[in-house]
Amino acid sequence: MTVIEVDRLTKRYRETVALDDVTVSFDENIIYGLLGRNGAGKTTLMSILTAQNFASAGAVRVFGEDPYENAHVLSRICFVREGQRYPDDARPPHAFRMARLFFPNWSQELADELVTAFQLPMKTRIKKLSRGQLSAVGVIIGLASRAEITFFDEPYLGLDAVARQIFYDRLLEDYAEHPRTVILSSHLIDEVANLIERVVVIDGGRILLDEETDAVRDRAATVVGDSDAVEAFVRGREVIHRESLGRVASVTVLGTLTDDDRRALAASGVEVGPVSLQQLIVRLTQHRADQSGRDAAEGALR
Amino acid sequence: MIEEGRALFLQIAASVEDAILDGSLAEDSRAPSTNELAAFYRINPATAAKGVSMLVEKNVLVKRRGIGMFVAPGARAQLLDERRATFAARFIDPLLAEARALGLGPDDLSRLVRDRAAASTTEGTER
Amino acid sequence: MNRTLKVVRMQFVNRYTFVWMPLIILGASWAMSVVIFALIPYDGAKYGGGSQAPIWYFFALGIVALSYSFPFSQALSITRREFFLGTMLAALVTSLILGIVFVVGGAIEQATRGWGVNGYFFYLDWVWRSGPFAAGLFYASIGLLLFLLGFWGATVYRRFGPLGLTVALVAIGVALIALIWVITQVQAWPQVGAWMAGLDVPALTGVILLVTIVVGAGSFATLRRAVPA
Repeated sequence: MTVIEVDRLTKRYRETVALDDVTVSFDENIIYGLLGRNGAGKTTLMSILTAQNFASAGAVRVFGEDPYENAHVLSRICFVREGQRYPDDARPPHAFRMARLFFPNWSQELADELVTAFQLPMKTRIKKLSRGQLSAVGVIIGLASRAEITFFDEPYLGLDAVARQIFYDRLLEDYAEHPRTVILSSHLIDEVANLIERVVVIDGGRILLDEETDAVRDRAATVVGDSDAVEAFVRGREVIHRESLGRVASVTVLGTLTDDDRRALAASGVEVGPVSLQQLIVRLTQHRADQSGRDAAEGALR
Repeated sequence: MIEEGRALFLQIAASVEDAILDGSLAEDSRAPSTNELAAFYRINPATAAKGVSMLVEKNVLVKRRGIGMFVAPGARAQLLDERRATFAARFIDPLLAEARALGLGPDDLSRLVRDRAAASTTEGTER
Repeated sequence: MNRTLKVVRMQFVNRYTFVWMPLIILGASWAMSVVIFALIPYDGAKYGGGSQAPIWYFFALGIVALSYSFPFSQALSITRREFFLGTMLAALVTSLILGIVFVVGGAIEQATRGWGVNGYFFYLDWVWRSGPFAAGLFYASIGLLLFLLGFWGATVYRRFGPLGLTVALVAIGVALIALIWVITQVQAWPQVGAWMAGLDVPALTGVILLVTIVVGAGSFATLRRAVPA
């Protein structure tokens, strides 16, 4: 069942277009990864979905309705953003008590467990907390809310690797017991790659990819070997990255390799290496940037 | 071990199959649940579930209503057949390619295989 | 419980901001005022400006209520309408408490003849002219107005930035000057003066509340399209 529908959404600021004719939908009880570079439009998209920001054009429907000033829809959503501001002079227990008032599925038990897991100092004022502790507050609210749609906007900034792993583990654990829709934006792609069921890549305000993660995992391969043999293989395929060292070429191609392909490569002494999700997305976004740069240059020449 | 460049659900299914093949997961015994697999590998439960469904479809695992997921009787034999069929493509072909690069022909390979097999058996009996 | 009422509860979760601070400021300025009254060698009734301090705090409170609790309210998925109404109710509660404190304080002041030093912090003759109840409402309405002025300013700043706020303030200043000019042109000062002098405390409270409602409506209209980030 679809819980979020975005139809030709555009968001314009004075000089930039943050979201450009975006159409995408999100189904219930799936963990989505919303991936992209800084400034790609991830936060803008999530803000508009939660009625914290407004579209310039296009429509957004959450649970089939317009979320703006719609308590019926909004009470089922939670969005704690990166750099969230908290009430002045509040301490973490205050923030949690306030959250508890408004999230019908709030679990105090989970919140307490997470406070212990993250070693969050409960007596310190929120404005005096470190960056990591501040993120922990946001993460705890997001997880304990058990909201039907929960958005995490780069939630782990400031969290060290151990704390991040705690977050991922607890997210999966709670999701297994209490399924809900989770939309997690991140630029640490490889860390979250195994958590997310679907991946949505947004770049320059446009959707670059919207697929099942597993389908994308073998979507590219890197072939390394003698440059002639490599070039012979990659002819006619979409190349998204090239490097060479002397006579050795390393080329990343788009497209799943068939068994025949692998046999042919083995026969010509060319090695095949996997491409991680992070590498694939990095290459794809670089490729798109190069292409639009080239198109712009062509336009200038015409 | 989770590796890059390959669908996760396939890897999960393969690891369960490996356990059945080497005997650590016996036929008719309870198979790990989706949540157990997800927690162990630290992956999304839906992905683990997809791997398990695939095994159910292949009749390697069978769901017993109200009790859980079990290894189907005859699963080991079935997997052995499957793996034997793909053994040549997965292992022999790359071996031949590497051997060719090193200037070793099929006869050299046969001799090597026999020597190595004998050596490992001797080690085994000496122990 | 109704979500708007939950917003009221939310504002009081951290009692420091809406309860203790105003009382502390009140207590501190009262104590200082009494000490100063005691030190002044004057036989008649003494008055100071100390009692203004808690009332000005309401102005700061209005600013803080928007700047800090609005962004968090958005994270908790509270609608802007619920946030506005709930916060106004919370401010109303605090203002009423302020009013009660002033009335009680005024009564004690009269009974002790100015805390024994003939100094008056709460009790102003003209405010009590229509009775203690009217006096209490008067103080409460001033507190509420100041809260809303702070809230309004912060909302305009949030939505339109520092430039927007400046423009708004200038526009209001110009409007006031224009009003004064018009009154001067039609030579209506005697009537205006007479009307103002004729206002008793309840009527004055009514005027203040009217202005408060206008400022409130303006804040809400601005808030509807404000962004928390």
